[in-house]
Amino acid sequence: MKEIGHASSQRRIAVMVGAGHVPGLNAVVMGTALAAGKLGWETVGIRDGLDGLLYPERYPHGGLVTLTPELIANLDPNAAGILGQAPRVDPFHVRRVNAAEMVEEVDLSDQLLEKLKAEKIDALVGVVGGRGMSILYKLHRKGLNVVCVPRSIENDIAATSVSFGFNSALSFTIEMLDRVREAAQSARKIGVVEVLGEQAGWLALQAGIAVCADVVLIPEISGDLAAVATRLKDKVTAQRPWGLVVVAEGATLLDQAKGESKPNPLKASLSPLATGEASDHVIRRSGQAAATVVGRLQLLVAEELFPLVLGPWARGGAPTAVDRQLGMAYGAGAVRAVKAGNYGTMVAFVPPDLKFVPLPEAINKVRTVPVDGGFVQIATSLGIFLGRELS
Amino acid sequence: MSGPIDTSGGTGIVLNIQRYCSHDGPGTRTTVFLKGCSLRCKWCGNPESIAFKPELSYAAAKCVGRKECGACLKPPFPEGAFYVPDGAADDKVKVNWDLAMDCDEAMVSLCPPGALEMFGKRMTADEVLDEVEKDASFYRSSGGGMTLSGGECLLQPDFAAALLKGAHDRGINTAIETACNVPWAHVEKVLPHVDTMLHDHKLTIPERHKKWTGVGNERILANYKKAYETFPDVDFIARTPLIPGVNADEEHIRAVLAFIRPHKNVIDYELLPYHRFGLGKYELLGEVYELDDYKTPSDDLVARLQAIIDEAFGRTGPKAAVVK
Repeated sequence: MKEIGHASSQRRIAVMVGAGHVPGLNAVVMGTALAAGKLGWETVGIRDGLDGLLYPERYPHGGLVTLTPELIANLDPNAAGILGQAPRVDPFHVRRVNAAEMVEEVDLSDQLLEKLKAEKIDALVGVVGGRGMSILYKLHRKGLNVVCVPRSIENDIAATSVSFGFNSALSFTIEMLDRVREAAQSARKIGVVEVLGEQAGWLALQAGIAVCADVVLIPEISGDLAAVATRLKDKVTAQRPWGLVVVAEGATLLDQAKGESKPNPLKASLSPLATGEASDHVIRRSGQAAATVVGRLQLLVAEELFPLVLGPWARGGAPTAVDRQLGMAYGAGAVRAVKAGNYGTMVAFVPPDLKFVPLPEAINKVRTVPVDGGFVQIATSLGIFLGRELS
Repeated sequence: MSGPIDTSGGTGIVLNIQRYCSHDGPGTRTTVFLKGCSLRCKWCGNPESIAFKPELSYAAAKCVGRKECGACLKPPFPEGAFYVPDGAADDKVKVNWDLAMDCDEAMVSLCPPGALEMFGKRMTADEVLDEVEKDASFYRSSGGGMTLSGGECLLQPDFAAALLKGAHDRGINTAIETACNVPWAHVEKVLPHVDTMLHDHKLTIPERHKKWTGVGNERILANYKKAYETFPDVDFIARTPLIPGVNADEEHIRAVLAFIRPHKNVIDYELLPYHRFGLGKYELLGEVYELDDYKTPSDDLVARLQAIIDEAFGRTGPKAAVVK
């Protein structure tokens, strides 16, 4: 494979952040820059995904941020924004309006590689989700030295135990569920809270365990709402006239009422988990899962239910202590991979170690909740109903 | 090369040739869909027509799976582009669209069950016209003919002009469907060979047009006005795809009427109530449909807006030509 690089010992590497916000991204940027600095390398950050390289003219101070020791020393690790983000990061399909005022998608990947070369950047650290990894893998196949840091609110990236950003989202979700529980207690109603989790139910399950929810519905276990209603009737009593149901946005239900919108994996047909019959089209709609569960449970239980959607709220705010450590560790780990020439890899946290996993082992897979795994057993032993009786 | 699509050598990129169409101009018609569009309407029902080149599609229902086939899991297909997920309920192939989009026609032909296909193929004008001419007797009896649609048929102006002129040479009536977001030179090249031009007025206010389609409508409106004035013998029919929450309101309809009514060769204004027929195609292309929350307009709303049009055109009875 032709490699774009330079033989100089004074290396220059870049760090970029893919689409999709998670709390505390600065921590990964800091970890990368500090570890590279220790090796005597220079680190630059690319603004707004890859836009800083592709469109430097848009930035009065340049599209690259040199991450000097002074800048890093004064960087707020609780913040997320030093590099910014772009809603789409795909140099192979860049949508733009051309000089003839026509909308078009163009492949700027060659241009991107040329610009990296011109900037004497010989490796790229990408803080990306699953889709971003596929795109960086494609760039790697074109010769770019790439190392990925897994970033996922839902913790659904395969081959790593914890993706960056998950713990912060989990903490926020737990805090919000506590508040909803108080509201439900006060109002004597059943709160149904939709949390992020299109393909994997980690956030719903772990947060549900933390607050000891009555019911948790996740994509991995198709829920039976009649059984859920029976369980709620047992738990919601005159002495405890309230309830809490946590629903992952991709939760699946048994016996979907015909013609009713189903809280199905959104973008189902694009998911590695979908079967050919998963859906007849692809959509993205936040709030559908909670609304459907409330709409159908309302017919089955006496108590009033109310839906709440946490959704994108979990993407903002300050990172937790775990994510701050993890971000620094992932950044430093990525630099280790670059130093070792382990390109085309993802840094994976496989406790207690950081490992470098080839990207093909991470893409096209989803890290789902094992139905016979420890978290499901914990939830069941706490009396949390997961939508149906598990053998 | 005029336009973003290479039509040198007398070929163009054709998405589909659809016979017996009744809503694409007068009479029974054959509609030739050309590939490539210069707008990105969020409600688009023909996403397979947008790209400027043939593109991959995947019909999971046709895939026979890894055990029986597995052809796309090996070279020359790109590594990781096709895969069978761990623990999947069946062994059908899934597509990583980011890695698979470079697959070309030669690769697609290696898929034995035909689950992989290309949307769009190169054809010569004569190849298209020979197909169109098969229904010439229907055109004569119904007053129909050939309609060029898209995508945006004016993005292949040389090819479109060749098709339309060729149709006229064969005695076939011609129409085009266009949103006209192209340089005037494209319009000027094609319209001498057109009998009827169906043209979209999607949104009136430039900022809203940009929000929903990707670009403003200043050039589009300038093209329409110039076309009305430059080609007095062409019948122009204005159309609006009617989408509640986007443009299904009296303000838009009245603004379009104010624009077209001074021009006597704009003979009608049709409403096209929004439908979701094209959603399945997004799945075939691995794309996400962004307008899921939008509903089809109610019959009452359509009737109320149609009455405004009828009044402007001096029609007293109900008009039956709302295109369903």
